[in-house]
Amino acid sequence: MKMLTCSRLNSYFGNLSKWVAKGVILLFAIGSISAQAQESPAQKQSELIKPLNKRLKSTDLLAQVTETEVSSVTEKPGLVSTAMQWLRSTDRPGDLQFHGFVSQAYITTSDNNVFGNSDNGGSFGLTEAGLNASVRPLPRLQLSAQVLSRRAGEGNSGEPRLDYAILDYQLYAHEANQFGIRVGRLKNPFGFYNETRDVAFTRPSILLPQSIYFDRTRNLGLSSDSVQLYGDTSVFDWGTFSAQFGVTLPVVDDKDTESSLLGSVRKGHLNREVSYIGRGIFETNDKRLRLGISGIWLNTSYDPNSRLNDPLGPGALQFTPVIFSAQYNAERWTLTSEYAIRPFDYNNGFRTPPAPRGLNGIDIVGESYYFQGEYRFTPKWEGIVRYDALFTDRSDRDGSEFAKLTGGISHTRFAKDITVGLRWNVTPAFMLRAEYHYVNGTAWLSRLDNPSPLATEQHWHLYGILGSYRF
Amino acid sequence: MIFVGLLGVKADVRANDHFEIVTNPSVSEVALSVNSLRSIFSMSLKTWPNGTKIRVFVLSDDDQLHKAVSKGKLNVFPYQLRSTWDRLVFSGTGQAPVRVNSIEEMLDKVANTPGAIGYLWRANINENVNVLQIK
Repeated sequence: MKMLTCSRLNSYFGNLSKWVAKGVILLFAIGSISAQAQESPAQKQSELIKPLNKRLKSTDLLAQVTETEVSSVTEKPGLVSTAMQWLRSTDRPGDLQFHGFVSQAYITTSDNNVFGNSDNGGSFGLTEAGLNASVRPLPRLQLSAQVLSRRAGEGNSGEPRLDYAILDYQLYAHEANQFGIRVGRLKNPFGFYNETRDVAFTRPSILLPQSIYFDRTRNLGLSSDSVQLYGDTSVFDWGTFSAQFGVTLPVVDDKDTESSLLGSVRKGHLNREVSYIGRGIFETNDKRLRLGISGIWLNTSYDPNSRLNDPLGPGALQFTPVIFSAQYNAERWTLTSEYAIRPFDYNNGFRTPPAPRGLNGIDIVGESYYFQGEYRFTPKWEGIVRYDALFTDRSDRDGSEFAKLTGGISHTRFAKDITVGLRWNVTPAFMLRAEYHYVNGTAWLSRLDNPSPLATEQHWHLYGILGSYRF
Repeated sequence: MIFVGLLGVKADVRANDHFEIVTNPSVSEVALSVNSLRSIFSMSLKTWPNGTKIRVFVLSDDDQLHKAVSKGKLNVFPYQLRSTWDRLVFSGTGQAPVRVNSIEEMLDKVANTPGAIGYLWRANINENVNVLQIK
């Protein structure tokens, strides 16, 4: 019965996401119609007073369009700037907005590979680009979608994918209190940075603290097909409490996720099972203090490939991390810290001879935390320092037990990363960044980029620079 | 050099409270709480009490008036508003306010956009916009 409900939910979500994706294509069409549809009676009255005005405006707009079309034909260099101008222009129906970003990083490491072959003279292996559109056809209804391309080592090819496609309806709103529902492919709300982790302008460094924001399981953590309830409420005169709770189907169909959860890329495949996610953030009215707690209850199961003589049996695993987040914002500096406890639980289905134990019944608790300070020397120059630590098994922090039991390498079970970085806001739309990491341990390295743990070094250095443009 | 210094002093004096929150004449509200105002500029409160759209207009982050309104009225730093807006825009859970390039454009947009809210120096306010009292 439970299986039946799950599979039904599965197909429901599957159809839903397809439906939402199709809906996104209609964004523009809706946008243009909504300009007429959205006005309330009160506004209609004022519209009646100046209908001529409005008509004049729309013909103006039309004239502009024809004008730009003509000029783009005769003058090619103007095309890009015309397009940018159009993307930036504000007089669009339905409050249609476009935003986007492009970032390119250069990363070089003393040893070990990060986003490509970085220890052999460096690599331009990290490219991130995104384009989003949002529209408000009704005052309380917002539709939005983002397409994202990420080229990063073996795990991400740069093929554009639908990052989010959301239908958001605000059911209730009064002063600082709101309540609403979101349906579609949503970014997973956990920690301070997860939802916008691919946008260089919104994260504190080129590489987010990897102990919590693993780049190798990013697809699993990033977005999922969900139904989410959200609400904000004011807490006396102190601030606002915002909460989100979602029922989701995680995205588990990529190789990086599979090798992270199952030790290597397997012959069978991981299934999407109904999972849950929730986050609450308290923020004081002056936004100086922010305190958050996030939790995920992720379920997935493994179907072996019997035709390929799969050594793994059918099994289920649960991953249930809880993250505590805290941030203090002053005019010049910001202090941020997050702590995560990450229990993994594999059931007894995975039989993996000849390894003595394999994945069967593994029940380990990982632990991660970081402390981070940012300082704004001037509005244009910012600095950052951070200490970030990850322990795959908190009861075996140096990996020695693991090495003894499995013959594996102990430094694959932890990573302690000291980061120093500088950010230069060249213009509000263009930013350059440089940073240095000294890392002890290899626990967060991508196994796809570093297939042999024997070839990895425990102590290593990473240098990165990044340029990012946004609009 | 002295001239630049004088301009700086003048801007500082102006920043002290010589601005107002203004709305389009279609907005019937005459007064708002600071919390509601902050929710509006944080882009989380999206509709006026009568159900119509709120449309927020702002100047650039480093504009003198924008800084004065952020710090003096909303009690937040401009960079905090920016990161709030970025979170909304790039997670798909909200929209950014519309950025205008000058005081003149601010006056024009607020005066001509139904449901609009923005801010102006007192000297630039005319009868085409309503001044909102903040309690």
